[in-house]
Amino acid sequence: MERRFVNLLLHAAIGVMIFPMAVLVLWAFAREWPWPHLFPTGFSVRGWVHLLNPCTGVLPVLLYSVLLSSVVAFLTVIFSLPAARALAFHEFRGKRAIEIFVLSPMVIPTTAIAMGIHVNFIRIGLADTFWGVVLAHLLLCLPYGIKILTGVFEALGDRIEQQARVLGAGWLETYIYVTLPLISPGLVTAGIMAFVVSFSQYFLTFLIGGGRVVTFSMLLFPFIQGGDRHLSAVFSLAFIGTVLIWVFALEALVKRWVKKGQYFYT
Amino acid sequence: MNGERLRPYVMLAPVLLVEAWLIFTGIHTAFEQSLGHFPAAGLSGYSLKFYIAVLKNPDFLKSLVFSFYVAFVSSALAVILGIFLAVLLVHSPRKENLSNYLYRLPIIVPHTIAVLLVLSILSSSGILPRLLYALGLLSAENAFPGMVFDRAGIGVILTYLWKGTPFATFMVYTILKNTNPGLFEAALSLGAGRWEAFYYVVLPLLKPAVIPSFLFLFAYAFGSWEVPYLIGPTHPRALPVLAYTYYVSPELSARPYAMAVNMVMVAVSFILIYIYSRQMARAGW
Repeated sequence: MERRFVNLLLHAAIGVMIFPMAVLVLWAFAREWPWPHLFPTGFSVRGWVHLLNPCTGVLPVLLYSVLLSSVVAFLTVIFSLPAARALAFHEFRGKRAIEIFVLSPMVIPTTAIAMGIHVNFIRIGLADTFWGVVLAHLLLCLPYGIKILTGVFEALGDRIEQQARVLGAGWLETYIYVTLPLISPGLVTAGIMAFVVSFSQYFLTFLIGGGRVVTFSMLLFPFIQGGDRHLSAVFSLAFIGTVLIWVFALEALVKRWVKKGQYFYT
Repeated sequence: MNGERLRPYVMLAPVLLVEAWLIFTGIHTAFEQSLGHFPAAGLSGYSLKFYIAVLKNPDFLKSLVFSFYVAFVSSALAVILGIFLAVLLVHSPRKENLSNYLYRLPIIVPHTIAVLLVLSILSSSGILPRLLYALGLLSAENAFPGMVFDRAGIGVILTYLWKGTPFATFMVYTILKNTNPGLFEAALSLGAGRWEAFYYVVLPLLKPAVIPSFLFLFAYAFGSWEVPYLIGPTHPRALPVLAYTYYVSPELSARPYAMAVNMVMVAVSFILIYIYSRQMARAGW
C-alpha cells in the first residue's frame, strides 16, 4: 500500500518534469496550433527541413559546436586529472584554500567577470577566436572536472596502484594500465559534464566570440527570443539529441578502450 | 624530499594558472573600470562616484532585491523538492528503473531550452491555459494571469526550479542511498515520530549535499543572464541583465556603471564562497 503510494508520487513528480518535453515534441511537428486547441491542427516538418538543408548552413555550425565543446571537454579532463589527484591523495599547505579557489568559478557569476575577460581578450587578441572561447569555457568546466574526479580518486584510493608498483610496473605503465581504466567512469562523467556546460553556453560564447565564433546555442537563442515555437522546438530537440548521441558515443568509446585486455575491470 | 613536497603544487599548477589568470583579469579589469579608470573612453583617474551613483539608483536597488528574491526562492524550493524526490527514489521498490534516469534529463538541457519549456506551458497561449479553458475554468485567452515576463518572476523561478530540482535530487540521493537506513529505524524505535526522526537524524546527514546544492543553485540563479533576459520582467531587471544593458550601451561612458554592478555581484559571490568554506571547515569535508 505504502509502496504503491511512493511510486505514484514519484511518477507524478517525474511526469511533471517530463511533460514539458512532450509539449516540445508536439511543437516540433506542428504546422499550426491555434488557441485554444489542445493538439496541433496541422503537422509539418518545415523546421526539420531548415535544420538539415545544406543551404541554411545549420549543420556545419552544429559540427563546429560539437568540435569546440569536445576540445573543451578533452582539455578539462587533461587539466583536471593531475589537479584532482593532488587534492585526493596529497596533504599540503594551503590545500583547503586552493580547493576552494579552483571550485570558485562555480559560484562567481559568469556575466560579472566575462565582461572584464572580454576587455582583456580584446587587448591580447584572443577575442573573437576559437581558442579564446575555449579558454573562457574552460574556466566554467574545470571546477566540474576537478570536483567529479577528486570524488572518484577519493573513493578509489591508491592501493591498487601501489600494488601494481610493487609488482614492478613503472609509473607510466601503472597510469595507463591501472589508473586510467579504473577511473574511466569518472573520466566519462567529467567529460560529459564539461561538454554539456560548454555546449549550453550562450552568454560567454556570444560575448567572447563576438559573433565570429558561432555555436549551435547561438542559432537557437534568437528563435526562443523571437517566439518562433516551431523552429525553437526543432532546434531544441536537435540540441538534446546531439548531446545524447555524443554521450553514448563517448561511453561506447571508453568502454571499448577499457575492455581491451582489462579482464580485472568489470 | 623537497621535490616530493612540491609535487601536489606542480600537479595543480596548470589549473591554478588558467583559473587565476582568467579570474584575476576578469575581476581586475571590471574593478579598474568601475572606478572610472577607462582611458579608451577618455576617463582617467580613480573615484567612487560610479558606485555611489549605482547604489543611489532606485532601479539598481530594485534589481538587487529582485535577483536576491528569485535566487533565494528558486534554490530553496529546488532543495526542498530535491530532498523530497530523493527520499521517494530511495523508498521506491525498483531502484534501477527508468525514473532513476528520467529525472536527470533536465541536467543536460540548457537553461535557454528550459525557458522555452516554461513558455510553452505557462504563457498565455501555453498548454496550461488551454487545458484550463477546455475544462471551462478559464473564460478567455487573456484571462490567464501573467506568469512569464511578470514582476513576481514566476516564470524565472519555475525555469530555475525545473533545472535545479534534479541537480539537488542527484546530490541528496547520492548521500541518502549510502546511509544506513537503520539509523532512521533506530530513532523510530527509540520513540521518535517519523518527522522528528527525519528532522533530527536524516536531515543532518544530508547537510553536505544540501548546503552546497543550495549555494551553487543560488549563485547560478543570482548571476545568470539568459533566463531573466528571455523570460523575466523588464522592470525590475535582474542584476546581470542590468549590467549587460549598461555594457552594450553605445556610450562608452556607461561602461563603469556596468562594471560597478558586476563588482556588486562578485562581492555577493565572495560572501557565498566564504559561507561554503566555513561549512566545509566545520563539517570536515
